Amino acid sequence: MALQGAEQTILRDPALFYWILIPITIVMILTGILRHYATVLMNSPPKPPSTLAESRERYSIFRGVNLRSNGFVLPTESFEMRKSYLISAYENGAFLKDPENRGQPPANPMTDPAGMDAMMGMMKGNMMMMIPQTLIMSWINAFFSGFVICMPPVSLGTCRVLTAVVKLPFPLTIRFKSMLQSGVMTRDLDVRWVSSLSWYFLNLFGLQSVFGFILGSDNAANHMASQMSGMNPTAGMNPFQPGQDPDKLYLNEAENLEVMEHFCIYDGIEERILHNLASK
Amino acid sequence: MSNTKHEPIHSSDLLATLQYSQQAPILLGRQSNPKMAPLSLITSSSAQPEEYATMERLFFTCLQTGDDKSALICLDKLTQFFGPSNERIMGLHGLYEEAIAGDNSALEKCLQEYDDILQQNPVNLPILKRRIALLRSLSRPADAISSLIKFLEATPTDTEAWCELADLYRFQGMSSQAVFCLEEALLITPNAWNVHSCLAELLYVSASSKEQGDPSKLLRRSVRHYCRSIELCDDYVRGLYGLALVSPALFPLFSSRFWLIYLRNRLPIVKSRFMDFQGQKYSQSELIAAKELLDRFGKSN
Repeated sequence: MALQGAEQTILRDPALFYWILIPITIVMILTGILRHYATVLMNSPPKPPSTLAESRERYSIFRGVNLRSNGFVLPTESFEMRKSYLISAYENGAFLKDPENRGQPPANPMTDPAGMDAMMGMMKGNMMMMIPQTLIMSWINAFFSGFVICMPPVSLGTCRVLTAVVKLPFPLTIRFKSMLQSGVMTRDLDVRWVSSLSWYFLNLFGLQSVFGFILGSDNAANHMASQMSGMNPTAGMNPFQPGQDPDKLYLNEAENLEVMEHFCIYDGIEERILHNLASK
Repeated sequence: MSNTKHEPIHSSDLLATLQYSQQAPILLGRQSNPKMAPLSLITSSSAQPEEYATMERLFFTCLQTGDDKSALICLDKLTQFFGPSNERIMGLHGLYEEAIAGDNSALEKCLQEYDDILQQNPVNLPILKRRIALLRSLSRPADAISSLIKFLEATPTDTEAWCELADLYRFQGMSSQAVFCLEEALLITPNAWNVHSCLAELLYVSASSKEQGDPSKLLRRSVRHYCRSIELCDDYVRGLYGLALVSPALFPLFSSRFWLIYLRNRLPIVKSRFMDFQGQKYSQSELIAAKELLDRFGKSN
């Protein structure tokens, strides 16, 4: 057990700093850039609708959404007219690509060619994340974990093989141990020592702004962002995920419309604008 | 380049358009320079999208002012970069063909071409739009309207198309349908003060034509839309002008003098801004009309 208050010192070669810390950082940055360009190259744009009916099925949902969010620009009678029209159309499936298929379970995305494309795109993106990460992690494990950097007192009886490469200049609580010293099997080591594997993780999550600086803000190396957008990749293009039933979305939207309360922005607008002018 | 960036694509201000298109040879000359130095191709790769947007704008203005030669150069450059099968390039190409078509038979040929393209890909939106515009210029508004309705059924979120349909209906005198279309456009872009003002104009006109139901109700709606348009952009000359016109019709007692005073106060500011930006936001015709209105009311009072 390290003595309370006593400075824990590890005898280590200062060259470790140059030969582990910096290479890992550089490799991480280069992989990020490489991943960005690989993603850009492999990225296939979302497929545009191939028939007018398909396009109608995709975009008609936005009419309801727009009416719901921007309905205040309409006077009450126009609003009610549109609302009742959209609700009945949504409920009857008037906007569906093939109304006779209504109510049937959605096609299996594995067999549906259109769904297959989207799935492939998603998989490509995920692979682009996973493969380099796995490779680098195993590379770091294999390469940088065999450094004898300290010989503990003989009383322990064995040579400890550590990969602690850097010491943070500020104290931390014991909770950070699992974060900073993954791969180091020593309980007593001061939390401030960081192992190479942990340095890798810190880089992985901490280099976002560096990539933003090098590649621009909408880069593909920013894997957190791509994970977020992976949930909803082409929100503007196609509201439906592969395998999702548009009919369900329509029914849902009809329900939303039905419970919606309408207010009109023109109520008292004359007074409002006169008041605005007077107060100027 | 910086001052041309904010230039509207289809400027209704002919002077600005003319000035812009007169720069075409200079702009085109500069565009071809990078080809000389292979290194600059690499360094300027990030600026290219903007460059091609400028090129497209230049294409439009050249066609508008009759400089077909420069337009063809622009089109060639764009085609070189994006390839002839790009939908937008197909649309631009169609536009060029229409522009150089001499007579109706040539235009009919264009229409035939569009139909062929649409047979292969029925969702080629630029070509669909060109086809509708062509039908309109061939003075077949009924066909244009029915195609546009079909188009809007497939893409109901296209503001431009809704406004175009409203315009078509307005020319056919079907104002209630036109009002519907503008309302749809407003639903997509609820804060567009120019659409608000357009809708108000339409309501005002249909109220004065006395075919529709209750003119006073239409006028009230018109005033409200004008008000909203001014609320969103408080020195919008067109909205103020309209409000000054409509309010005496609705409130005979409440004179529109108030709006006129307001308009008069606003006009110098707007005018100075106009001088600064060379008509980016306000076209000269609107200013002239507003001054004319002020003069007229100044005499009558």
